[in-house]
Amino acid sequence: MIAKTITAEELGALVADLVSAGTRVIAPARAADGKVDYRAITRFEEAAIGAELPRRSLKEFFLPPTEPLFSWHQGKGDVTVKPVAVSFPPHVVLGARPCDAAAVEILDRVMGWDYRDELWFGRREATTIVSVACPGVDGSCFCTATGGGPDSKRGSDLMMVPVDGGYLVEAVTPKGQAFVGAHAARFVDAADAGTTAAAEAFRTGVRSRVAEHLTLSLPALRRWLEGSFDHELWRAIVLRCHGCGACASVCPTCHCFDIVDEPEGVRAGTRRRNWDTCQTARFTVHASGHNPRADQNARFRQRVLHKFSIYPGRFGEVLCTGCGRCARACPGGMDLPEVLKTITALVGTGASREAAV
Amino acid sequence: MKELQELARTLLSSGTVKVVFGWEEGPRGARPAFITDAANAGRLVFDHRCSHTLATYLSPRRPHMTRLGKAAIVVKGCDARAVAGLLREAQVKREDVVIIGVRCGGVAADPADAGPLTAENVAERCPGCTAREPHLADHMVGETKPEPPGAPTRDARIAELDAMSAPERWAFWQAELARCIRCNACREVCPMCFCERCVADKTQPQWLESSPHPRGNFAWHVTRALHQAGRCADCGECARACPAGIPLGLLNRKIAGIVADRFDYRATDDPSVPAPIGAFSVSDRQEFIL
Amino acid sequence: MAIPAEKIEAFEPRITAFVCNWCTYTGADLAGTSRSQMDPNVRIIRLPCTGRIDPLFIVKAFERGADGVIVSGCHPADCHYTSGNYHARRRFAIFNELLGFLGVEPERLTFSWVSASEGQKWREVVNDATARVRRLGPFEAFRALVGRSE
Repeated sequence: MIAKTITAEELGALVADLVSAGTRVIAPARAADGKVDYRAITRFEEAAIGAELPRRSLKEFFLPPTEPLFSWHQGKGDVTVKPVAVSFPPHVVLGARPCDAAAVEILDRVMGWDYRDELWFGRREATTIVSVACPGVDGSCFCTATGGGPDSKRGSDLMMVPVDGGYLVEAVTPKGQAFVGAHAARFVDAADAGTTAAAEAFRTGVRSRVAEHLTLSLPALRRWLEGSFDHELWRAIVLRCHGCGACASVCPTCHCFDIVDEPEGVRAGTRRRNWDTCQTARFTVHASGHNPRADQNARFRQRVLHKFSIYPGRFGEVLCTGCGRCARACPGGMDLPEVLKTITALVGTGASREAAV
Repeated sequence: MKELQELARTLLSSGTVKVVFGWEEGPRGARPAFITDAANAGRLVFDHRCSHTLATYLSPRRPHMTRLGKAAIVVKGCDARAVAGLLREAQVKREDVVIIGVRCGGVAADPADAGPLTAENVAERCPGCTAREPHLADHMVGETKPEPPGAPTRDARIAELDAMSAPERWAFWQAELARCIRCNACREVCPMCFCERCVADKTQPQWLESSPHPRGNFAWHVTRALHQAGRCADCGECARACPAGIPLGLLNRKIAGIVADRFDYRATDDPSVPAPIGAFSVSDRQEFIL
Repeated sequence: MAIPAEKIEAFEPRITAFVCNWCTYTGADLAGTSRSQMDPNVRIIRLPCTGRIDPLFIVKAFERGADGVIVSGCHPADCHYTSGNYHARRRFAIFNELLGFLGVEPERLTFSWVSASEGQKWREVVNDATARVRRLGPFEAFRALVGRSE
């Protein structure tokens, strides 16, 4: 496939084209407190691509923090149920980090597993994801350890690599191909060898830097987790965890939700789904009052197990893209990369109850 | 921090306490530490990266903490106010905790910030702090530090908001609260949010909508701010923990101002000073009542 | 947000009043049995004491469509439960300022002490609150707090 380039100027014009055509453009942009969040922009100048990692991931554009499922209205002798739309206006995410784009595709597995989630896939179909290869963030990144990388194309429709004056562009999917085609005038065919080499050097450089942070054998990790449910590690490392769930809220792959019925007056209401997290005490409280995950040790263990053992068991891949947000967001100083490193050391010493294969 | 490490070593090896709550080096700067073995006391540090309040870990609602046994806790002045709050409200018995006061010159907003401490990176509660040497302490460690850099900014910001019209203030707060995703991090890290069953979690009836929409968020933040009135220690954890960057420090500071003005109460690390809520005076101002 | 004048003129405020059983409720009843004419915009919710009124009730009233809220009870020193109204006074002093800080127009909230014999005072409180809320218009800002439509 022929590589293309786009200048920063043309990219700005492309954004203007999209906005005037009614497409919603989402990009990393500064919030009032100076931090970067993914949000809707109307002009390219608002975007802060390649700056700090956005505080939250892309998942909220496919699984919103709160989302109506249907609404009801009670009449004289009947109830009318009004479903929500499952097709959505066009969206473009511009400047997605590869860890965030990959996460969306990983979540497609569970969202299409035993039930095809029309709201998730409706938004997926309406959205084109344009990623930008990541310059790295800090020592908490471990995307390469999870099988991804700062230039991973997974989940992206288009991948852009920063070069002098603009970006090297590669269409990854047919949707990406169509996007380039629809805005062909903005792109320039075929980069020269120097640009391609610069892009390659950028990618390789970041990749090797991030790879130094953590190396994991995902299969060995999974085997250890499956055999170590009662390991004392879970008691030792969880003391500083507040069970606040900030980690789950910023995580690109955490996707648990709660369903609530909200009355509006006496006769009407809305059923919604809202983000939830296994880290809160009441996540597994039964109607009887019994809680099978009665303390934070059990709850943190669950998070690690779900990501590195249960999800891979069911879908063949880990529920983590190594973005490191959990470590950055945690007010108590919990550090997942450190936990994984600790477990890796335990695996190395054969300190699991399963016999070595 | 030799003095602190030595003290911890002594407290642990003598069996006076079973665990010392302090701070240590983590992969991302300073982080809370729970030293149970005197041999590990050397891990304890104290510097401007020790932004966290450890008082939350004293909550009786954390069985995995309480089963460690009697604790010694290192407190900055703001943390001491939080511990005093727990003592005042009978969540912890004074004889069940050893308090190690540490002299403080301010902390960074971000514990990962290597420093130095400047007016730009200092936590918003620090400039102008009058509690840099806790009174509530069984032991005191550390040299007297210089005043935190910078000038207080919250009161000016609050005055700006007060000067706005009601609709302007509404627009400001709605824009801020719109980002809330109801993760409840603010509640979980708060030393004074220790209710066994938070009103937000009640489902029969559902008093507070749990959905992160503007209506639910408004109810939640109004309720939490009110429940913290006269109790908030201004430790800054809620604002630091919020993954959406909501300026909770402004809200809590405003309420502290109301409580100070009307009831002459300021957060204090003296647990014998009664809380203003739960008490009353027959001469409380009632100019707002017809 | 600007509400057109015609809309304000046609608008009938919906006001919820949380009142204590012993003083204000009885006072309101007296106003009724005395055939006092007053604005009919207030729906009364009776509670044992103002001390029992959780500020959350006020938020709930706004959520459910109230344009204004009245909280009323016994005068200081007259509380049937001795000190309930003193606790309420502190609580609502803070709550009133908190809501104002968050941008709720202060005239939407009314606090009063109305005793069992003050039927006329109740009438005045009701008419005064209704007039204030009528001037402000419907609480559109709160109505607009519907769920995110993402």
